Amino acid sequence: MSFTRRTVLKSGAAAGAALAMPAIARAQQTNLKVVWMGWPDNQVLPLFAEFEKRNPSIKLAVERMPFSQIFQALEVRLNARSGDPDIFIVDSPLTASYAARGHLMELDSLIDKSRFAPSAIEAASFQGKIYSAPFGSSMQVLYYNKGMFRAAGIEPPSADPAKRWTWEQVLEAGRKLARPADNIWGFSFEQQERPYQLLPLGQSLGGVALSPDGLKATGFIDGPAFVEAFGFMQKLYTEAKISPPGQFDTALTPELFGSGKCAMLLGGTFVADTFFNKFPNLEFGVAPHPYFAKGKPVTPTGAWHFGVNPRTTQKAAVNQFVTDMLSDDINALWFKLRPYVPTLNAVWTKEAKTFDTDMWRIVKHESQITAVPRPATPGFREYEDILRVTLRDLQAGGDVKAALSAAAQKIDREIAKYKG
Amino acid sequence: MLREKAWIPYAFLAPALLGLLLFRFAPILIALGGSLFSQSIRGDTLFVGLKNYHELFEDPAFWAVIRTTLVFNLIINPFQILCALGLALLARRPTRFVEIFRASFLLPMTVSIALTSIIWSIMLDPTLGPVNGFLRWIGAPAQPFFRSADQALGTLIMVATWKGAGYWMVFLLAGLLAIPEQLNESAAIDGATAWQRFRYVTLPLMKRPLAFVLVADTAANFLLFAPVYIVTNGGPAGATHLLMFEAYQSAFAYLNHGRSLAISSIILAIVIAIALMELRLFRQPEEAER
Repeated sequence: MSFTRRTVLKSGAAAGAALAMPAIARAQQTNLKVVWMGWPDNQVLPLFAEFEKRNPSIKLAVERMPFSQIFQALEVRLNARSGDPDIFIVDSPLTASYAARGHLMELDSLIDKSRFAPSAIEAASFQGKIYSAPFGSSMQVLYYNKGMFRAAGIEPPSADPAKRWTWEQVLEAGRKLARPADNIWGFSFEQQERPYQLLPLGQSLGGVALSPDGLKATGFIDGPAFVEAFGFMQKLYTEAKISPPGQFDTALTPELFGSGKCAMLLGGTFVADTFFNKFPNLEFGVAPHPYFAKGKPVTPTGAWHFGVNPRTTQKAAVNQFVTDMLSDDINALWFKLRPYVPTLNAVWTKEAKTFDTDMWRIVKHESQITAVPRPATPGFREYEDILRVTLRDLQAGGDVKAALSAAAQKIDREIAKYKG
Repeated sequence: MLREKAWIPYAFLAPALLGLLLFRFAPILIALGGSLFSQSIRGDTLFVGLKNYHELFEDPAFWAVIRTTLVFNLIINPFQILCALGLALLARRPTRFVEIFRASFLLPMTVSIALTSIIWSIMLDPTLGPVNGFLRWIGAPAQPFFRSADQALGTLIMVATWKGAGYWMVFLLAGLLAIPEQLNESAAIDGATAWQRFRYVTLPLMKRPLAFVLVADTAANFLLFAPVYIVTNGGPAGATHLLMFEAYQSAFAYLNHGRSLAISSIILAIVIAIALMELRLFRQPEEAER
């Protein structure tokens, strides 16, 4: 091969172009800053890898934060009112709070409402417009340890929602199963301090957690239904001693159940995976959420949505993120990674086989019949935080009515700013 | 000649003064200014004058937080200094292994306060904690520690002291080692007992380091936040609800920045007032006469 001036010039130009390619690609690449929940790697990374595979020009810088800190950390970031982060995860009842304060971009043009469960669209909306992308919902079921029930000679609860256990039955069985001196417990809530988990107790007795306009707690959260219900909750920790006190880390309560130290756990559908993966020898059954004998069954719902910062400078890329993440197959992938209750109708059809189990039959029934969302209020951030600390306190003892009234007054004072 | 170069010391001081101005005085001024404003829910700023202060003083819950903070400080500051002084006296004697003891007393200082909080919340966990495991093992009843309104503040004081006492010991040890040995020896020759030597020789000569440690320790404890945030959330029933946590909650849970900055300014005023009182208490006799 002879080298002419022309071939040298040609190969020089080709080499130059090859060297310049990554730089050009970088110049065209968009970076999106994403704040997400601190779930384990294997439940999060494949989701974002799939998105990046489909959109090679968009790179996601994902920051994962623990559940106990994510809301506070997001407040700090959002209150700076810059374009950082571009995308952030949203606990569905916080949609109104963020939207009222101008932290969420309206998503109506990107979301086809007919593809989703109506309750999910309702949870994603504020003043008639969609502000958060309904990525998943939730449901709680009663897990029980078959071995511990057998050993105590107790007939376990039925999986049939028509034959669900009452709270009184849970307490009675819990007393037989618990040995607090040996650190063996009868029953535990998965999220022991969260209104999400505990409001259904009062709602089961007919309580309404907040005024219909979402701006008054006095006379609602400190009404007789919640005083009685949270009095019952307190008894589980203080008088009956069937529940482990002070376990507010939501990762620890499933571990207590999984390791055979707690006979019943009222937990989300997603904790079942922890049991399968971490405690393969655990023999457990699933039953519907308990209710009070004189009340009606009520279950919690709502879960993680995500939202777009209206100050983002990457409009095209965030639109792509919303569209792809809500596509049938990425949403189905998310369901497989961490089984929250799907909000997308297509996932229910696509994964029909998966849903043919006791747990998912219960979930489907509850989602349609008994689920009550958390109160819709722009002050949910304040409402939840004040109530959370009060519920924590009540589990250590104290006057239920006085504590709830004090909390209600504090909530009223803090959410007054959203009036008018 | 000297006058011509009068600017030289200022030039040397300039970087430190600039740092002080930027990182200490500027935030204080911003906080004071910000406490006179309120934010609308959309983030617009409105001048409200002293309204934030007025609302705080009208709020009985705020007075409860002030009371808890004062009780906490009235106990923890003397307690930490007594522990630090005790450790310093123990670590002063040139015995074998004294270096190892000095280092081990200092070790908690190297652990961050956030980590300290997490370690102790695990150690003292009512259900899974090793301390209760040990208590059960020796047949004693398990204790709720941070989860009981009666024990939480005491537990917080113990944990903060575990972390702080070794640090303050260093300053007191330096003070003790600076006292000339001859003074003690001559007092001993005059027949003074160990207690009398401590009371009439050591203690008067320790006034300066003690004054510094007391003022610095008071300021540090008024600003204590991490264990309350990480472990107790101010509970149970407000037992550990300190001013710094109230300032934090106002800003980041209740989204009320004006109120939060007003609380921060009140903390600053209280710390300055108490520090001035403490300095007065520890004033040297010759300074008092001036």
